[in-house]
Amino acid sequence: MPPIELLLQQAWNGLMLGAMYALIAVGFTLFFGVLDVIHFSHGDIFMLGAFAGLSVLAGLAAVGLAQPLVLLALAFVAAIVITGAVGVAAERACVKPLARSSPLMTLLATLSLGLVIREAVLIFYPRGADPKPFPRLLPSGGFEMGGVLIRYDNLIILAIGFAAMVAVDRIIKGTRMGAAIRAVAQDPEAAQMMGVNLGRTVDATFFLGSGLAAVAGILTGLYYSEVHFIMGITGGVIGFSAAAIGGLGNVYGAILGGLLFGVLQTTAAALIPRGSEFRDVVAFAVVMLFLVVRPSGILGEKSVERV
Amino acid sequence: MTLLETRGLTVRFGGLVALDGVDLEVAEGETVGVIGPNGSGKTTLFNTLTGLYAPAAGAIAFRGRDLVGIEPHLIARLGIARTFQASRLCLGLSVFDNVLIGMHARRRTGLLDAVVRRPRLRAEIHEAIARASHFLGLFNADLVARGWERVGQLPQIDRRRVEICRALASVPQLLLLDEPSAGMNPEETAELMKDLQIVREEMPGLSIVIIEHDMFVIEGVSRRVAAFNYGRKIAEGPFAAVAAHEEVREAYLGKEGVRA
Amino acid sequence: MILVLASEAVLFVLAVAGILAERPLPLAATGGVLAALALLLRFSPKLRGALVGAFTAHRTGALAGAAVFAVLLPFALRASPYWTFVATLALLYVTIGQGLNFQIGTAGLINLAGAAFAGLGGYTVGLLTVTGGWPAWLALPLGPVVAVAVGASLFVPILKTRGHYLALVTIAFVFIFNILMNNFEFTGGPQGIKNIPTLQVFGYAFTTRLTLFGVALPAHANFYFAALVVAGLTTAVIRRLHDSWLGLALNTLRDDEIAAKCSGVSITRAKLTAFSVGNFFIGLGGAFYALMVGFISPPDFDFGYSLIMLSVIIIGGVDSIPGVVLGACLLLPLPERFRFLHEYRLLLYGVVILVMLLYRPQGLWPAAVRRYR
Repeated sequence: MPPIELLLQQAWNGLMLGAMYALIAVGFTLFFGVLDVIHFSHGDIFMLGAFAGLSVLAGLAAVGLAQPLVLLALAFVAAIVITGAVGVAAERACVKPLARSSPLMTLLATLSLGLVIREAVLIFYPRGADPKPFPRLLPSGGFEMGGVLIRYDNLIILAIGFAAMVAVDRIIKGTRMGAAIRAVAQDPEAAQMMGVNLGRTVDATFFLGSGLAAVAGILTGLYYSEVHFIMGITGGVIGFSAAAIGGLGNVYGAILGGLLFGVLQTTAAALIPRGSEFRDVVAFAVVMLFLVVRPSGILGEKSVERV
Repeated sequence: MTLLETRGLTVRFGGLVALDGVDLEVAEGETVGVIGPNGSGKTTLFNTLTGLYAPAAGAIAFRGRDLVGIEPHLIARLGIARTFQASRLCLGLSVFDNVLIGMHARRRTGLLDAVVRRPRLRAEIHEAIARASHFLGLFNADLVARGWERVGQLPQIDRRRVEICRALASVPQLLLLDEPSAGMNPEETAELMKDLQIVREEMPGLSIVIIEHDMFVIEGVSRRVAAFNYGRKIAEGPFAAVAAHEEVREAYLGKEGVRA
Repeated sequence: MILVLASEAVLFVLAVAGILAERPLPLAATGGVLAALALLLRFSPKLRGALVGAFTAHRTGALAGAAVFAVLLPFALRASPYWTFVATLALLYVTIGQGLNFQIGTAGLINLAGAAFAGLGGYTVGLLTVTGGWPAWLALPLGPVVAVAVGASLFVPILKTRGHYLALVTIAFVFIFNILMNNFEFTGGPQGIKNIPTLQVFGYAFTTRLTLFGVALPAHANFYFAALVVAGLTTAVIRRLHDSWLGLALNTLRDDEIAAKCSGVSITRAKLTAFSVGNFFIGLGGAFYALMVGFISPPDFDFGYSLIMLSVIIIGGVDSIPGVVLGACLLLPLPERFRFLHEYRLLLYGVVILVMLLYRPQGLWPAAVRRYR
């Protein structure tokens, strides 16, 4: 049994990982709420966000910009915009047309879309098959608290993650578009009758979700100092599972699910021998177990079929 | 002979009481109408009888057997068949397929027959299609001619008939019809009443419980009517008596409307 | 009948020519003729009607004719062991595809772990023969059995959950399978299992060069004919199961589970049956692959292959048995033929699936109404 400090350390790491998962999970849950679809390519959108950030950083560095703060800010903004736009385009081209037909079709379509995005990055990004180093832009060093090493860069990652979550909360609860999103999630027809523009609301939801995924992507790049074109698969599966754990359609459930997942994954990896190799296996096994035990999530799923 | 009996049947969804202590009896061969405003628990009653919902309290006895806790497919095999408010047909499958599924539980051939002893399967299917044609033909000979077409291509009234045939195909003892005239114009409703008459003649021993909003249909087919409101049965008896019942009129027209 | 045989012959000749033509001129000529025929069919309803009529009237004859041409194919391809191999691979995908289609198309069970079940078949064969010393012919049937057993034990609880959860669980499973195969010692780790003995039936080893009717065929032809028999039997079995009470029950529960339940269908039993039947044939394909190629490793059975299997089904037509055959025959050889596309293979698969789903979701050979023949 590892010492308590190690476990706390892992829990702290898990919290950070969880914050990134949470951001992806929120996207999944928003899309389910608004269109009743499982957007399987969202994981690859997350990967795209990371690569978009990477490209922007590379471009800015080539131009000679070196200020980490400015670089980061620009990278985030650019990645959010690019990824958001791609997300909306994907939704308009592939998801919405099929949303009325059987869920199988939407599932297959979004899976294929994910494949296309993944392969496109592999093929068109220079030497896309290799993991790509991500610039270290965050301050190094840290401090100790209660036997746990808290690094500055991790703290900043967590802070940005949390800031993003707060931003989502503000948008959903405090803006007209947020209200529209909630209305459409509850009842699209009633919402439309109240004057909500369904098309624009769906677009906005996808922009929001994809933008969040981009933030998660850059944070992941900063955390691991590298990105890889296949990171979207794991990210997607875990993000979806986290959303499912929290109850599909429930934004706070998604955040909770993401954090829970992160903590669970890192602590389990610490406890199981050869845990870090099998870390993904643990994640997936937890997913499967959870779906057996409580498929409608901790906070409950959105819809019930009418008989 | 009492075929179906519920006692104190209560169904809750979280805090909402959908059925509140319902006592209902259906005898062999009789047609009972069920009326009530939207949300009064009529479809919930059907869903509970067929095992889709679990009651919070109360008992259901069918031919002496307790139905509570029994899975829907087993309840179907015991002899309860139903149609649905928004008709649940497989639109991409043929008319015959949609009726044949009603005979699924009574099949005698298995997987081995399907793969290795094919002539046996073909014979059983042939017989099943003949029976399906019989039922379909009772309502509309055209349906038999179009038996291999996809159900989605049929008009609404014919789809209703296919759904009724699917229910009849399982040779039930109790047939639950959920708002069969929903979405029909007066002409189609008149056709429907003829269809129900045909069902009566075809299976005289069959008990029918029919939920309807169209009072014309209810009056025409049911010997006895039960009225529901807020999950409780508020009146029962011949149609005229129930229609005149004060609480029933209040349920539909509101307190002001009754006085008017 | 003549029309049927003539059109099959034309297709055969064009296919072989398309495969073997190396120089630009013959290749362009073949392509041109194919395009011309396609346009002719597109714009001449009379021709289409005549063909459809002929094929429906002479169904058995058409099948027999197709079988004959399928047997003739290795003879036409005798100069190229590589293409004989590709053709055999296509047949394996027919077998796997029929199994997967039974799950996804007929029963609506979204199984994205096809690659894992094929892998279970392959690894079982590999382990039994190499580590256990079993003869190949005995190990072969055990591959599918293991696939079925693992599938049943893993998914009995999951089968009661809704569609998108099953999809997620199967994705999780294929990744777990891959990582486990990669990290366990006894499965050979990243190296996989090598030197799997070839199939030997009554002393005849499948790696011997075959000479039939005085024509020397590459060694792969043995596997081709065996795979042809397997694919043929699989297709026949699946078709018979599809056109039976089971297929009807599965279609109904796919389209409307509540209606199925209230009609007396035991959902769990039906789904488990469909899942197991499907996994059997998927595992069989994987087992056969292991024997044919002689070595397997984790990348042979990763998530990407699940998606390839999926695309075979979608292109042919969901729940369409002839569609699977068409899908496999189109999807496998084409990227091999156009080698320069090889890098873009998965990307193209993805795009093709998307285009199909958006514009022709019923597939190239849509499922016909069930006739219980």
